[in-house]
Order: sequence, then C-alpha cells, then structure tokens
Amino acid sequence: MSTQKSITVALAGNPNAGKSSLFNALTGAHQRVGNFPGVTIEKHEGYLDYKEYRITVVDLPGTYSLTPYSPEEIVTRRFIIDEKPDVVVNVVEGTNLERNLMLTVQLMEMEVDLLVALNMMDEVEQKGIAIDLDQLEQLFGSHIVPISARNRKGLDELLDHVVSVSEGRITIRKNKITFSAEVERAIDRIAALLARERELDGANHRWMAIKLLENDREIYTQTQKYPVWVKIELALQEAIAECGRLHSTDPEALITEDRHAFVRGAMQECVRKPKAPRASASDYIDMVVLNRVLGLPVFFLVVWAIFQLTFTLGSPLMDALDYAFGLLSDTVAPHLPEGMIRSIFVDGIISGVGSVVVFLPNIVLLFMGLSFLEASGYMARAAFVIDKVMHRFGLHGKSFIPMITGFGCSIPAIMATRTLKSRSDRLATIMTIPFMSCGAKLPVYVLLAGAFFPPATAANVMFGIYLLGIVIGLWTAWLLKSTVLKSDSEPFVMELPPYRWPTFTSVIFQARMKAVMYLKKAGTLILGAVILIWAASNFPHSKALEAELATRKAKIEATGVAPEAKAEQLRTLQARIDASQLEYSLAGRSGKLLEPLIRPLGFDWRIGISLVTGLAAKEVVVSTLGTIFSIGHTSGDTTLSGILRSDPAFSRATALSLMVFVLLYIPCVAAVGVMKKEIGAWKPVLFYSAYVMLVAWIASFITYRLALLWM
Amino acid sequence: MRLSDLKAGDRAEVTSVAAEPAVRRRLMDLGLVRGTELEVLRFAPLGDPIEINCKGLLLTMRLNEAQGITVNKLEAAEARQSGWPGLRKRHRFGKSA
Repeated sequence: MSTQKSITVALAGNPNAGKSSLFNALTGAHQRVGNFPGVTIEKHEGYLDYKEYRITVVDLPGTYSLTPYSPEEIVTRRFIIDEKPDVVVNVVEGTNLERNLMLTVQLMEMEVDLLVALNMMDEVEQKGIAIDLDQLEQLFGSHIVPISARNRKGLDELLDHVVSVSEGRITIRKNKITFSAEVERAIDRIAALLARERELDGANHRWMAIKLLENDREIYTQTQKYPVWVKIELALQEAIAECGRLHSTDPEALITEDRHAFVRGAMQECVRKPKAPRASASDYIDMVVLNRVLGLPVFFLVVWAIFQLTFTLGSPLMDALDYAFGLLSDTVAPHLPEGMIRSIFVDGIISGVGSVVVFLPNIVLLFMGLSFLEASGYMARAAFVIDKVMHRFGLHGKSFIPMITGFGCSIPAIMATRTLKSRSDRLATIMTIPFMSCGAKLPVYVLLAGAFFPPATAANVMFGIYLLGIVIGLWTAWLLKSTVLKSDSEPFVMELPPYRWPTFTSVIFQARMKAVMYLKKAGTLILGAVILIWAASNFPHSKALEAELATRKAKIEATGVAPEAKAEQLRTLQARIDASQLEYSLAGRSGKLLEPLIRPLGFDWRIGISLVTGLAAKEVVVSTLGTIFSIGHTSGDTTLSGILRSDPAFSRATALSLMVFVLLYIPCVAAVGVMKKEIGAWKPVLFYSAYVMLVAWIASFITYRLALLWM
Repeated sequence: MRLSDLKAGDRAEVTSVAAEPAVRRRLMDLGLVRGTELEVLRFAPLGDPIEINCKGLLLTMRLNEAQGITVNKLEAAEARQSGWPGLRKRHRFGKSA
C-alpha cells in the first residue's frame, strides 16, 4: 500500500488520566522508546494502521499544566508547537473531570486541532455520573469521544474522529475562553504588538500574550530580542499594576482563577453527580493505610513484601539462570580446542552474557511489583508516609523504595528511580543506592566475618557494616543536595489518586519494557566491561608458566604413586599455576601497582587483585581470594576461611578494613553501566566513582587503624 | 491564618497562595486559588506532609508549602462529624445525637 496516508497524533493529559493505557491499547507492540531532544524524558512513540492510514502516536509526558517550570511541561509545549502534530488528543479522566479540564483549557488556548478522549467512561457510568457531552462540546469547541482505554472501548470511534479531523471533515471551532476585562485588554494590546513583528508571523499571538502575562520565562526570552519588546514590557507593567489595584492579585493568579471559573461553570452546566456517600471505598482504605498509628507499619509491610517478591522469589530463578549458563559452558567446552579459544568463549563470552542476563528475574519481578504499586495508587501514599524522613536528607518520599531495593541489588534499584520526576532528586537517590549493601557483597562479609570472629560477634559485625552503608549513603545524599544538586527539588505537591485494580496486562507490559530496556541499553555496556575484566585477568599469558605446568604434569604422571595421590598432586599444581598466571596478568600487575596505595589499609597486592576482579561482580572478590591465597596451602585447614586465618597478611583488622572497603568502593560494572544509562552522561558517573573511592579509602583507613589499636 | 495551622478535619477557604513560582503555579493549577474551599484530611504519621481534600481531589504537600497558603477557617474540626461515620454516634456519650 504505497498510497497509505500518514497522520501524527499526540496524546496529552494529566498524570493518571490513562494516557499510557490508551497508547498501549492503540499501538500494541509497535512501540519505540526514545528521549525527547535535550532532556532525559522518555518519548514513547508507536504506530498503527487504520483504514488507509498509518497513524503515528506520540505519548507526551503527563502534565497538569503547560507552564515552563517542569521539563515535562516544556517538552509537551515544544512538541505541540514545533512538531505540529495533525491532531492533539487530550486524554481526560471522566471521574475527575474538573481538574483534567484545566489542561484542556490550556490546550484550547494553543489553538491546536484538539480532540478530547473522555476516558474511564465505564467508571463514570458505574458511579452514576451523568455528563452532557453535547453541551460540553459546545463549551469547549472540540469533539469529545467517550472511551475506556483499559477495556478497549470506543477506540475505533476515537480513530474515526482522528481521521476526520486530519482530513478537515470536522472543524475544531477553537473556542476562546474570556478572561477578566483587564486581562483581556492587556492580551489584545500585547497580541497586537506581537503581530507587528515580522518574524512572529504565523505564531499564536494571543497565546504568547497570555503566557507573557503569566510570567512565562520561555516566551519572555523568545520575545525579548525584538524591538517591540520595549512596548510590550510597558503593557505588562501596566497590566500588573491594574490587576493589583482592581483585584489585589497578579495577572498570573487572575488568569488561573478565570480558567478555574470557566471549568467550574462548565462542570455545573454539564455534569450531574449523584449525592456521593460521605466516604468512598478509597477513603476507607486511606483511613487505615494513612492512619497515624498504622500508616508506618503498613508501609513497611508493603516494602517488605516488594523486597521478598523481588529477591526471595527472584533468587531461585537467578540460581537457575546461573546454573543454565554453567551447563551451557560445560556443554560447549569439550567442543572447543583447549586453551585460549575455549577460555574466550567459556570464561569470557558465555559467563559475560550470563552475568548480564542473571539480573533479569530481579528486574522483571521488581517492576511487576512497582508498577502494581504505582497503578493501584499506593506509591503516592508511600511517599506521603515516609517523606518526612527522606526530606531530612534532602531526598523525596519516593526515594525510599528504590533505596530499599538497593539492599537486594543496585541494578533494578537504580532503574526504579524513574518514579522520581525531578532530575536532582533522581541523581541524589541513584548515588545513594550503591551504599545500600547489595546481596552480592554478602558472601564477602560472610567469609571474612566468619573467619575472624566468633559466630555471635560475626552477626554484629555484619550488622555494623550494613549500618555504616546506610549512614554514609544518607550522608552522601545530604551532601549532594546541599551542594551540587541544591537546585530544583521536586515540590512535594502530589495528588493521591483513587485506588484502582491494575490490569494484569499493564503490569506485565511495564515489566517487559524494563527488561528489554535493560538488555538493550545497559546489557551491551556490561557485557563489554565483563569481557574486559576477564581479559585483564587472563592477559598477558605467561608461556613460561604454561611450559612449567606441562613439564611438571608429565613428571607427576610418570611417578608410580596411587591414582588418588596423583590427582591430588595435579590439583595443587594446577592451583599454583593458576594463581601465578593471575599474578602475571594485567589484573595481577595492577594489584601490585596498587599495593603502595592500599598498604595503609592493611591490604597486600593479593587483596588488590581481588578488588580489581571484584569490579566484575562483588562476589568475585571471594573466588579471587580463593584462587590466589590457596598457593602453598596444601596442608592443615584448607577451607578458604582457614587459609585466610593462617595467612600472615590477614588479621582481624585487615578483615574489617576489607569489609568496609568492599561495602563502599565502586559498585560492580553492571551497576555502573546502568547508572550511566539512567543518568545519561559519563561525567557525573566518573565524578561519583572518584568520590566513592575516596570515601572507601578514608573509611577503611580509619577502620584499620582503630582496629589495630583496639584488637 | 495559614493552612499549616489548621487541624485535621478543619474546613477553610483559600485567600492567597504564596510560594516560589514553580510551586505556586502547581498549587494554583491543582485548584488552590482564591475562594476555593478545602478540608484538611490528615497529617502523615510523622506529622508532615499534610493531606487536604480540595474539590474532591486529594492533595498532599509539605508543611513548608502549606505555610504559604493563607486561609479563612470556615468550620473547626470539633463542630463536624469526621472519622469513621458509622462509629461516630456511639462515641458521643451523653450527648444528643
């Protein structure tokens, strides 16, 4: 069909109005997630074929208004003005019409081809609300199509309208709302002045005038460069003075009041609500959930449930994936020639891919839980309950759940910060998360605390480590928010949406989206880094050591001892050679290179190596310690903790210092990769890495010195 | 008086909104303009933020922001029936319902 005609539709609407449900219902699988130019706001774009049209749908971010104060609102405005979509569909929540229509009024002011999709009509009918659609259409001058996005009702009718509008078969009357007399006079005067400017031909002068009166900094900078500005400024000052004199307020407030008055009038004309019972089901739930006494326990119960869902349910799946990749390695290995090639495929590529994929169960489960909370309406309430604590550290109530998730794994936790709207809140939260000691660091603590402390004390030591992470994390957040991220905290002015049952498909859909995004965007970066670390621990390869291995092997084979003893000897030989190879490699050399730096912390070069390889994943610290410390330990206690205990390089002080260091230093490459992806730039990530290294060094130094004094 | 000075259950009418531009505008867009009636529903378990009902919309804000909103108290909490509607009567010992 080469004659297919194309239409671009933009969806605009309040948060929670059901824009995303409509978008998903319309475009199904034909979606693409990108970013709006210059900002890290997701741009969801999709298409569908309807009759002879290819309709491209752009889901604009949810906004309450069209001010230039939040990036979401700026993006929405710019898209409508610059990209000129053929039709703007304003998704309006039928059960909350009054507030939703405030945005409709502002879209009307932009004089675009506007269609109103009146969503959640099923709920409207259920609640017995009667809406006079004809009358409403008369007042707003746009066609209004009742739909129910979650039940896929009214979609065809909406699309028919979209086609008709773009074909010009429906004319949008573009009604204007009339503001107070003084405001109208000022609008006319300023619009006339703007019309004199040639370069502004074709622009919407009335809209620009309204925005100037609203003190809109974007339009200010846009118009200030023209000579006519001098006169405009004069007109603005007079308008401000007049509003102050007659209404004792400013033009911005007056305009907003007029919009509210218009919407209120329209509501009284067109909407009949049954006498509502004094309290709805939502109100009753809130009486428990937000109760002074029960509020916090309920909150912690929910957080605990999310944590359990993600990690308790996730870890067998994670183990299964781990096992599957192990199985894959074992199956593939025999078919590859021994040596370098086998190592590249098995230890490099397969385990590299494995280390990316292994996080998927956690990510999928967490986001199923989070999107359930978000869509049900509890998320906003959780933020309400815990905000006071978080605000003390400069964070937002919504920072809490991502932070807690960090105790399981930083990767889904960092991705979960998307619920935070303000960039500075998000950055601060992302940078707090790695201090919440993740599950992969636990084996390190278990090994070291178990080896150097009696069981009862070991638990206290581990608890202390977790506590230290929380304290330093919150301190970091506070530090960031009172210095570099001082600006634009998201104002905590939030709506608590009524409770709703999320649909199963939307929950699954969200989780799938996150999984794909993780694999596509972060996966490649992580894979590259894991392979790099593998290469660093395998190259350069010592030929001399290989030759030694071969000759000694032959020697052992030649002796006439029992087969068991022979196997034992071969094992120790292999371990020794492996350790020497690691020492010879780039990672080994960097460990030695680092030694002067980490000596004051009580670490020798062997610990240095395990810290380097631990960048791949924190639990690798344990296996590297195992490889490298087992040299020469063939008798006595051959468990790793036994070996560490008997090694002169290790003491209680070293163990404590190492635990603190592992807690605090650069998170694993996977976390760094996701961090880069979510922040969108390398500079903050590198700065942050330097910061955590410094913090880790200082904290370990203090720990080591104090431990030496006291133990 | 200021919105932050009200108690849970109080009803009031907005007389003016002062805050930094972005917050002020957000508050006004959500309906907190002169003449709007609101009811304080509750404070968060830790005392901050505050939740209000404004034209059927449940809004939350920090006390810091609520301080910028000046209101006229219309009805105090005690004068009205609030909390669990069903349980209310039984608690009014000795008073005529």
